[in-house]
Amino acid sequence: MYAILGLLVGVALGVFLQPVMPTALQPYLPIAIVAALDAMFGGARAYLEHTFSDRVFVVSFVSNVLIAALIVWIGDQIGVGTQLSTAVVVVLGIRIFTNAAAIRRSLFHA
Amino acid sequence: MNPEEPRPRVDASMDLLNDIVRTPIDPDYQVVPGGARRSRGWVVALVTLAGGLLIGASLAGTLRQAPQVQTEREDLLARVQAASDRVGELELAIAGVEQENRELSSAGTGGEESRTAAEEARLAVLAGTVAVRGPGVVVVVDDGTADATGARVVDADLRQLVNQLWRSGAEAISINGHRVTSRTAIRSAGDAVTVNYRSLTRPYRVEAIGDAAAMVADFPDSPAGQWWGYLQQNFGVGFQLTTSDELTLPADQGVAAAGATASTGR
Repeated sequence: MYAILGLLVGVALGVFLQPVMPTALQPYLPIAIVAALDAMFGGARAYLEHTFSDRVFVVSFVSNVLIAALIVWIGDQIGVGTQLSTAVVVVLGIRIFTNAAAIRRSLFHA
Repeated sequence: MNPEEPRPRVDASMDLLNDIVRTPIDPDYQVVPGGARRSRGWVVALVTLAGGLLIGASLAGTLRQAPQVQTEREDLLARVQAASDRVGELELAIAGVEQENRELSSAGTGGEESRTAAEEARLAVLAGTVAVRGPGVVVVVDDGTADATGARVVDADLRQLVNQLWRSGAEAISINGHRVTSRTAIRSAGDAVTVNYRSLTRPYRVEAIGDAAAMVADFPDSPAGQWWGYLQQNFGVGFQLTTSDELTLPADQGVAAAGATASTGR
């Protein structure tokens, strides 16, 4: 499956190439990762429920990452960056868990 | 809000947790028409590759930081260790100094007094208030045989001789039994040479305690030596320099200070 292959190759590239993130973007990397994970779990669930669409996946991935980073950036500007990143992580975390549960149900019928 | 619900619930806008739990995936997946549902592998792979890159970069950053953190920690530990070692050293030094203090204060004024006494004795020797003895040189001079004014030994001649002896390291000097001190005047009064205001009769016997070898060696080339050489050659003035292993010089009682005290304390 291309998706898992792409993920593994991406992780390997990231670890070995160690791309230099601009320092300004560094604080938003963890949040972007959580958002990306959320989008990927959502895509996986949609795939298992046979509603997957690559267009929606791409759009949701990009918008998730951008919006999560944007929210935290705005939070940083108004002085509540940590609280807002906590909020983003909580919301996305809940979604990830829910999606993971749905994936589990689809895969194992349990 | 789930678009598939025909009618929004009354509390829909406040139903945050419900909303999160019930619509965990993008609602768009549901609204996309079945015909448009495609799964092009390369597109998906590209997106997951991007996600993987994010994760990998973050991971790499964490991995990079770990040894750095470890190094900093070890550096801090080393610094703490060095500082505590230094504290130990300083404590040892403090203990040593305190011990020394105790010893000094237990020695008390006794030690101070003995030091003062030793200093006083040393100064008394130099000042000439006590009789001293030791090895040194003896110079015996006498008037010359020539019938001339220069044939007489005068105060200036003796002054030159005495000063040269001081310069060569003499520690105590006497002339005809009169101790030469800082208050000694060697002068002429009439025909006689006076030392400590007492007239002397020839021959003059100058005794000096000190480094005999140096005094004997220094003398011939010194101005005083040249002067006395000149006197000897031209007027037949008697001059005899000998060393002595044991000389005894009397004290000069007149040097004792009665009215004067030090103007500044030490």
